[in-house]
Amino acid sequence: MDPVPYYPVNEFGPLMKGLVIGGVGILHVFLAQFAIGGGMLLYAFERRAQRGDADARAFVDGYFRILVLVSFVLGALTGVAMWFTTIQVGARTIGLMVDEFHWLWATEWVWFSIEVCSGYAFYRFGARLDDRARRRLLGLYAFAAWMSLFWINGILSWQLTPGGWLEGGGMWAGFFNPTFWPSLLFRTAVSTTLAALAACVVINMMDLPRERKLALIRGAAKFAVPIAAMPLFALWFLSAIPEDSRSWLLGGSMPMTMFVGIAAGASALIGGYVIVGILMKKLTLNVATAALLLMLAFGATAAGEFVREGARKPFTVRGTLYSTSITPAEVEVLRKTGATTHDPYPLRDEHRYPSAQLILGAKVHRTLCDACHTLHGSNALVELVRTWTDDQLRLNISKLQRTKGFMPPFAGTADDVEAIVQLLKWEAAGTPDAWPVSNDPATLAQITRWLDEVGTSPMGGQ
Amino acid sequence: MWPLTTDAHGLWLALYLLTFCLHAVFVGYVLIGTTYALVQAVRRSEDPIAEQIRDRLPFMLGCGITAGVAPLLFLQLLYQRHFYSSNLILGPRWGAVVPALILGFYALYVAKSSEKWRKLALGVGSLCFLFVAWSWTEMHLLMQDEPAWKTMYAAGDRLYGDGGVAPRLLLWLGMMTSLFAGVAAWTAVSQKLAAPPLRRLAVFGLAGKLVAGIALAWLASRSGVVETHGWLYLFIIATVVELVGWIAMLRAPHGIGLWVVTAGGTAALVAGAVVREAPRLVILEPPRPAALEAGGFPVFALTLVFGVVVLVWIVRTIRTARPE
Repeated sequence: MDPVPYYPVNEFGPLMKGLVIGGVGILHVFLAQFAIGGGMLLYAFERRAQRGDADARAFVDGYFRILVLVSFVLGALTGVAMWFTTIQVGARTIGLMVDEFHWLWATEWVWFSIEVCSGYAFYRFGARLDDRARRRLLGLYAFAAWMSLFWINGILSWQLTPGGWLEGGGMWAGFFNPTFWPSLLFRTAVSTTLAALAACVVINMMDLPRERKLALIRGAAKFAVPIAAMPLFALWFLSAIPEDSRSWLLGGSMPMTMFVGIAAGASALIGGYVIVGILMKKLTLNVATAALLLMLAFGATAAGEFVREGARKPFTVRGTLYSTSITPAEVEVLRKTGATTHDPYPLRDEHRYPSAQLILGAKVHRTLCDACHTLHGSNALVELVRTWTDDQLRLNISKLQRTKGFMPPFAGTADDVEAIVQLLKWEAAGTPDAWPVSNDPATLAQITRWLDEVGTSPMGGQ
Repeated sequence: MWPLTTDAHGLWLALYLLTFCLHAVFVGYVLIGTTYALVQAVRRSEDPIAEQIRDRLPFMLGCGITAGVAPLLFLQLLYQRHFYSSNLILGPRWGAVVPALILGFYALYVAKSSEKWRKLALGVGSLCFLFVAWSWTEMHLLMQDEPAWKTMYAAGDRLYGDGGVAPRLLLWLGMMTSLFAGVAAWTAVSQKLAAPPLRRLAVFGLAGKLVAGIALAWLASRSGVVETHGWLYLFIIATVVELVGWIAMLRAPHGIGLWVVTAGGTAALVAGAVVREAPRLVILEPPRPAALEAGGFPVFALTLVFGVVVLVWIVRTIRTARPE
């Protein structure tokens, strides 16, 4: 087996890495999905304009400028930012995704290039083109944008449900994985809904009489109708994800369940207002309400992305790579060699630790814990374990995958366990200048027994 | 043909080099064009080229970023461990590249639409794009300097600061100036601009080559010349052809000079990209099994052909646009 690759690790102060990638990811997904739905909505309004609706034409030419600025710039750039941030957070994960799917990523790049060129061509020359050319450019833009989603969706959903890829079915088995279709349909519905809500904000700001604004709003609101099918897509998605992931979403992990609830509740409110209020009861929608609904949709998107990311635990690629960027086979190796024996990178703050054991503990924390925890900031390890006894700490860390089903197995030796235990106790004690070394053979022998008892298999996701 | 072998590495490298060249054309136009527009704004000069550039800069940056995604992808296949490690060592400083691009992009829109804020916006834009160019130069060199990784990481140092950074950046600024001049000259010709602006662009093209030549000599004196299997000679010949083209354009702005510049410049860019890559090839990583076995190439190839056809159609379509 190849040696375990070590990358330099960066910390983000009190922010755990999940918050950093989550923040960039949510913004990117929101903008990118808005751009996809926006393309479809513009195409529909362009057809309406070509049937003689001057307001629809004014909307297309005005709205599009905002769409271009927001989606082309921030959507494209946050996409690059996602790449860079993923390298910061989990270099091996993005490396594996690139290795496995580089030709599909390159395919997505071609579609993205078409999207940018057709969008810019319309933005720049649309007003001077004939109707047929306008319609074709917008249709091309909308289709290319959706095709970008098509390709990226397969790669992202593979992370949670690699499907036949795990059994050697190859790249296409991984791409068309069990959550590919529900995820694609769900995201498409989200895209059209976001576009509809953003359109309602823009229409409200147009200089038109109230009735003409309402006519446009009702036209845009039809694009939010797919939200009615979202519960179906969500159930399909839930039925396709692994059983342990499903159990965490449905009560096994309360934070996850709450996020599921927030996403579902916010979507229900939006869907209810748009479908029942605007389309059925013919209610009006002012700019403030439209903006509020859009913000609610942002919240739903954020919660949904949190759920999608969280459901993968303890993996970043199910059954293949743990969130610690260590493979299941490597866990067995590190149980023998130690988690940090071959880590070439020293600590940046080695001088602050009073013993070699604490230095080892800090290195173990950096290698095995830092991907999801900080010591004192968000998801702080010191606070999570503050009330645990020494033996409780040793047992729970040794049998990590049994302590919490969404934790990976501990990938180190008994010495590594004791070193991280001592580090956590030292940090909880306020980092005193002196700290005794804990190397009682009986204690280490007990930790070894616990490690052997629990083995190296995860509790879920094999 | 060296360095393009017949295995997966060869294909990835060929695609990396080609897409990198495409990216370089756009970003060269953006960085030098922004600075050119800034200088003309400060001079309050009535310059049809500056006006044209301001108008096109946001679009060209969009193309530059989009075109940059492909070489970034293939770079990760060729030098994954080196690229990721350098990325992580530069850390937040490297992460600042994207906010700089966002800031730069909006600055270009401000420069296009507001005369009041134009100078400030172009100044901000120039600094942002220069920061990105400098960061990429540092990244390129740090990737090849593995012994420095441990030291930099331990010290928490985010600046590489190697002596090779300055001449390398200067080399790129020179090359970019010539690329900018070439692209700007074509747009000037398509808009039937008079001879003086074209002559000015020819001077820029020549000046860019001069700067690049000085920087290249500086670099060679520092680190010597690596084996390039004839690509260096091709680069020199192509550069001479390009120089002849610029001189011809200086003498007859509407003659065939620009065609010669384009032919020579394109060949020089491709050969230069190979010469640039040569020292880095020693750290080329063995292809990982997952990458070697990955399917999907036929889909990519077909999509690429479709994409080219569609882009041609878009160009033909916008040519049917009514005059402004």
